[in-house]
Amino acid sequence: MSRIQREDRSGRTVLLTRNLTPGKRVYNEDLVVKDGAEYRTWDPFRSKLAAAILKGMPDSVIAEGAKVLYLGASTGTTASHVSDIVGPGGVVVGVEFAPRVAREFVERVARERGNVIPFVADARDPSKYSVAQVDVVYCDIAQPDQTEIALLNCSKLLRKGGTLLLVVKSRSIDVLKDPERVFAEERAKLEKAGLRVKEVYELSPFEKDHALIYATG
Amino acid sequence: MAESTPGSAEFEALRQKSIAAAEATIREASSRPDLHLVQAVQALDDTDKYLNITATRASEWYGLHFPELIQMVQDNVALCKIIAEIGGREGYSAESLQGRGFTEKKIAAIIEARDRSKGGSISEGDLSRVKTLSALAVQLSVIRGGLNDYVESQMKKVAPNIAEVAGATIGARLMAKAGGLDRLAILPASTIQILGAEKALFRSLRTGARPPKHGILFQHQAVHTAPKWQRGKVARTLANKIAIAARVDYYRGSEDPSIKAGLDKRLESIKERYKDPPQRKPESRGPPRREGRPQRPDRRDRHRRR
Ligand SMILES: C[S@@+](CC[C@H](N)C(=O)[O-])C[C@H]1O[C@@H](n2cnc3c(N)ncnc32)[C@H](O)[C@@H]1O
Repeated sequence: MSRIQREDRSGRTVLLTRNLTPGKRVYNEDLVVKDGAEYRTWDPFRSKLAAAILKGMPDSVIAEGAKVLYLGASTGTTASHVSDIVGPGGVVVGVEFAPRVAREFVERVARERGNVIPFVADARDPSKYSVAQVDVVYCDIAQPDQTEIALLNCSKLLRKGGTLLLVVKSRSIDVLKDPERVFAEERAKLEKAGLRVKEVYELSPFEKDHALIYATG
Repeated sequence: MAESTPGSAEFEALRQKSIAAAEATIREASSRPDLHLVQAVQALDDTDKYLNITATRASEWYGLHFPELIQMVQDNVALCKIIAEIGGREGYSAESLQGRGFTEKKIAAIIEARDRSKGGSISEGDLSRVKTLSALAVQLSVIRGGLNDYVESQMKKVAPNIAEVAGATIGARLMAKAGGLDRLAILPASTIQILGAEKALFRSLRTGARPPKHGILFQHQAVHTAPKWQRGKVARTLANKIAIAARVDYYRGSEDPSIKAGLDKRLESIKERYKDPPQRKPESRGPPRREGRPQRPDRRDRHRRR
């Protein structure tokens, strides 16, 4: 059974991920038992990956057992759900360069979860995190040059045919430009680098002026 | 890591090693003296706010009882000290007002004001609360003084050139805005110039309104005492020198008095060259409004809501 589940709560779809550490919460999310297994509710207003899934991205994009390189782990909210999704046989390598948020990520997520490996490092310098090839690169670092950073990481660390999930916040790339245009331009950069863009999920109403680009290498 | 399977002992060992390395990096980062300084200057600014709020409340409350005194003692902290120590109106006397830096004349005036006060009576319970609040304000002012001294002395150690050029407190605030000395050291002067004026900057980008000339730097006496038409130039010069100072502090760590000397020279020449206010041509004051950036009220709205 998939490690991502859905529940209908009075017409609203609630996403759930199978808790890797039953009984433990990461950030005060609700715990739900379903068919004898414990799940954590996944709030699309707090997690752009959840928003993309609710906007139609297939659950299978991050598969059970996958190795995921997560750039911009922040305090680990989304990373903890990715850790649930890949399960005990998968790996989440979390990279975050701001020490203050990295501290929470290490304490609340990496220490608690046997499939999470933290790095306090700059995603511009992949040599600082010793990872072998991964199946998925997830990039959410809100930098003007994030697409270049994501591509650099893909060229070094993404296996052939692997997946890139790139969160684009149009305002951190260009405050003035129309978000649609920013998304199209970032998409074009990926295609120029030889990736195949499968879909661009615009994340409203969960996030404004954000999109998640789903591409494969 | 690719070789070792998740869950295996080998994998777990690697994971623990990575956690230890991450924690070491975090620990090192949080012992950085510039980050402590950033906290200290923010604590200073916080304390200033608490002090104002507390002293204002105490004086308003006490003003019901002895409004004339509020008028006569302008300094909030001095006022709170009197309230905390003397208490109700009947406690005012030549003796109790002694040693507070008042002239004989002022003391006589306060006593006279006491006798003909239009304030109402105050109960023990109310008075005791006002006195406690006043004592808190006095204590906050002592804490603020201590923080201020601390910021000054730490800035001399951590960023002596910024302290020299910008002044210790303003320099520390710039560091706080940037997020540390390392971040400030890589900011361009044009960004330093408007640190603390982000709202005005975004407004100007969206609407084509004139960009802000200064943010935190407005607090610098060279900027706010300059005539209006020189202010932008003064702020730009100051920002240039602070950018240099930050780099020297971060990369070299030694004092370089030539930066401040260069600043003083530049400020002199601005005063000289732009002595007279510019001729007023109402149509073309400041940089021209930008073309091709029409107002977009819909977008503006969207941003404001966050
Ligand atoms: C928008 S937040 C990520 C939120 C997170 N993905 C979540 O949903 O829980 C962006 C994060 O990227 C980090 N970041 C920005 N630039 C980075 C870089 N060059 N290398 C590593 N992390 C970076 C920031 O410190 C911040 O914590």
